[in-house]
Parts: sequence; structure tokens; C-alpha cells
Amino acid sequence: MGAKSDVETKRWRRQGDTLTVYLAGEIDHCQAERLREEIEERLRDASVRCLRLDFSRVSFMDSSGIGMIIGRYKTMTARGGRVTACALKPPVDRLFRMGGLHKIIAIEEERCGA
Amino acid sequence: MRRMNNHMELTFPAIAPNEAFARMAISAFLVSADPPVSIVAEVRTAVSEAVTNAVVHAYQGAPEGAVTMRAALGGGLLRVEIEDAGCGIEDVPRAMEPLFTTRPDEERTGLGFSLMQSFMDAVRVTSRPGRGTRVAMEKRLDAPAREAT
Repeated sequence: MGAKSDVETKRWRRQGDTLTVYLAGEIDHCQAERLREEIEERLRDASVRCLRLDFSRVSFMDSSGIGMIIGRYKTMTARGGRVTACALKPPVDRLFRMGGLHKIIAIEEERCGA
Repeated sequence: MRRMNNHMELTFPAIAPNEAFARMAISAFLVSADPPVSIVAEVRTAVSEAVTNAVVHAYQGAPEGAVTMRAALGGGLLRVEIEDAGCGIEDVPRAMEPLFTTRPDEERTGLGFSLMQSFMDAVRVTSRPGRGTRVAMEKRLDAPAREAT
């Protein structure tokens, strides 16, 4: 049980200059504010050049999630870095398209690092 | 999809955790009508946007504000209203323009009303400055989900 729950609760991974965030649950206004603070805290480390957002465990997102992602995109591009996203489920993918995020963020099909 | 008549009304504090509560409540209300999952997802998103507007804008974070959600099912149609007694909106057409927001510094996108209009069949916003705002939306539950636009 221990190993399995470790995998399920993994939230961050650092590999080289890439920070992967394993997002989970429902990204609404309430959760987006918490995520913004947590991710910005990790991005204080200026050696992070690529922020990868893993959506494989995200079941819902609304416009607050779009705002949170655009905010992190601004943080990363200001330092010459980039943001990528992966494992978008159809409802989240639809929000990505409606929010124009496909135009600024590279989408990977597979779960990040899987 | 089952055609049946039903209605409900819920009032809750305008606090951020109740955005998720409102989504759960409308999902539970829709169970009896058994609509397609894709339609439930669209209604949940529209409700989430409307309640978030009440939390963020109408009461500007003041937790003593209240939000009322009313929903009615009849003839295969869902009617849902989100009403607050907050600050109101001076210029509703402008507030509904895509990307218009008064809070860019808080990472608000100005997409809330656009998403409500994309996901629902009808969205009507009535507001009186200083008195509050009501967002009334309709959704046919037997129609295929809309394509992204």
C-alpha cells in the first residue's frame, strides 16, 4: 500500500531544469489560488526553466484554472522559460482550447514522464 | 434522459469552497433526469463560473454575503439561477464581453460569461448596482453536447 499511495500522492518532480507538477482534482477559483501560491513558491528557484503541468488526475477545470495557467506562463516566459502540459482529459482539453491555451502552451499526449 | 419535473433552492455563504459545493449540488439535482455526462459537465462549468463571479466580484470576498441557487426541471429543460445581493454590475453588456475583467491582477480571465454562453442554451443576466445580480440559464438536457467554439 505504501508504494502505491506514494505514487498516487506524488505532486512534484524535478529533473534537470524541468519542474513537473502533478495536478489533481478540480481546478476552480478556490483551488487555483492555492495552486498559484504553491507553484510560485517552487518557481522561486530560478534554475527551473520548464514548468510541466500533468493533468492526468484533473477531472474539472473552469476559467479560474485558465487564469492560473496563464499566470504561470507569464512567470516562466519572463525568465526565458516555458510551460508544457500533458494528459488533458476531454473536458480540460476543451477549456484549454476555449481559453486559447493551445496557442501558447505545448501539449504532450502522454502523462509527463510516464 | 428521463423527462420529469423537479425543483430546488439552496442558499449558501459566498465563500470559495462553496464553488465546489454548488457544482456537486447541481450534479446531484440532475441525477434524477439522467442526462448525458457531457451535458452535466457543461452545466457544472456554467454554475461554477456564475458562483465564482458572486464570490469574487459581487461580495469581493466578504464571507457574510449569500448566494442562492435555484434549479427547475421540466419538459427536458433545466433552468438554473444563481442570485446574489452583492454590489451589482453597472454595465452588464460590457461585463459579458469576452476577456473583460476588472481583476486582471488576480489572474481573472474575463471568460466566465463567455463559458456560460458557450455551455448553456440561454444566459440572461439582470443586475442592479448596489442590489445584486441574477444569472438565469437554460439547458436542454436531451440535446447533444455543444462542440467547442
